[in-house]
Amino acid sequence: MAYLGLVWTVARKDLLIEFRTYERLAAMGAFAVLVGVLFNYSIDTAQVRPQSIAAGLIWMTILFGGMLGLGRTFQLEQEDGALSGILQSPIPLDALYLGKVLANFVLLALIAGVVFVVFGAFFNLRFAGSVTALVGVVGLGVLGFVALTTLLSAVATRTSMGESLLPVLVFPLVLPVVIFGTTATGRLFAGRPVAEVSGSIRMLAAFSLIFLVAGAGMFRFVIEE
Amino acid sequence: MSLKRIRWGVLGLGTLGVATIVLLHVLIFFGVPTESFQGVVQRIFYIHVPAWWITFSAFGVVALCSAVYLWLGDDRLDAAAVAAAEGGMVFCTIGLLTGPLWARVAWGAWWTWEPRLTLALLLWFIYLGYFLVRKSTENPEQGKRLAAVVGIIGVLDIPVIHISVSWLRSLHPEAVVLRPEGPNLDASMLWTLMVGLLAYSLIFSSLFLARYAVEKLERVLALRDVTTAPAHGVDVS
Repeated sequence: MAYLGLVWTVARKDLLIEFRTYERLAAMGAFAVLVGVLFNYSIDTAQVRPQSIAAGLIWMTILFGGMLGLGRTFQLEQEDGALSGILQSPIPLDALYLGKVLANFVLLALIAGVVFVVFGAFFNLRFAGSVTALVGVVGLGVLGFVALTTLLSAVATRTSMGESLLPVLVFPLVLPVVIFGTTATGRLFAGRPVAEVSGSIRMLAAFSLIFLVAGAGMFRFVIEE
Repeated sequence: MSLKRIRWGVLGLGTLGVATIVLLHVLIFFGVPTESFQGVVQRIFYIHVPAWWITFSAFGVVALCSAVYLWLGDDRLDAAAVAAAEGGMVFCTIGLLTGPLWARVAWGAWWTWEPRLTLALLLWFIYLGYFLVRKSTENPEQGKRLAAVVGIIGVLDIPVIHISVSWLRSLHPEAVVLRPEGPNLDASMLWTLMVGLLAYSLIFSSLFLARYAVEKLERVLALRDVTTAPAHGVDVS
């Protein structure tokens, strides 16, 4: 219980800073809406039905927007030298990682909600499936992506290439989230039964679990001086 | 292992490797029969398949050495990991180049989004990230740790990527050698493939040793830069 308290302390600190400045949320939110506008004009809607490619567009927007915000996970600590302060605190490093993941998850889940609402309105999408299953798919997909990206964001921040390195590290590894996330979301949009997406949900859960455990285990090798 | 012995190892394995490569090409062009369905283009198989076997073994070595390096902190393991990663990258590139040459004739397309192709391409990029992380870190010790983490994460993800891309139907020829029922190809073909595997293993081992020696020498030089003492006393073994 005390451990979860530590995780929450780290997450609360990050969320508090975010909700006072809105820096990352504003950047990711604006990105999501503007990409929707650009997508609209990059697709010939007379030839392609937006409904049939909506799942792909939505997931790519969530992931690209997520890269934008998650790349800055350790920026504040790095710039102000606050990292050494945190490293000297008695918080175990795996709890620090999980706290960062939790804060990033909350932020990206909010953005994912915005993307679904905005794209639904922009492309006049109709959703016929189970909302609970959709929440499960998006929640687990975002969790897996955040678990992986938070660790690699710490890696990228430690290099001289910084955030520009992050996509090279994340994109090859995040393919399972794209495949299972878009397949399941597409099927739910088409009103298919929940049984057809349960395999995807299990795979997304496995992906999240693998990278949460790996991230918590290896974070100390990344963050220690 | 002393540098002198490594030098002999590199030369010996390299010479044997080049000789076996020559033998392999003699066998490919004059020895093996032409495959009945695919025709002449199937002969690329004897280069393509060993290249992938070496690629996967090399990346296995990277992950193993990286994991034990993080655990024990022994510098030699990191040198071995980076040497294996560079060798693996070379053979991965050979696999990625020979595949499309075959596919253009056999499938009529340079590239398809077939599971094994996708995985191979992603593997190349995972290790590109590995090298970028190493090269762009100011503190070399930290660079080694970060690269080890990237290497391990990459190998952890490979089975998951494989499962996810296999959801799409596979066009790639099924395994003909490493399968539970035993190999199902002509004996001369199997022999040629084994010669290919031996040739590529020898070349890889020679490159691996050479790269390992260079890595160790670079570390000795770096050490010489930071210490004012003459380097004669430094043990390079």
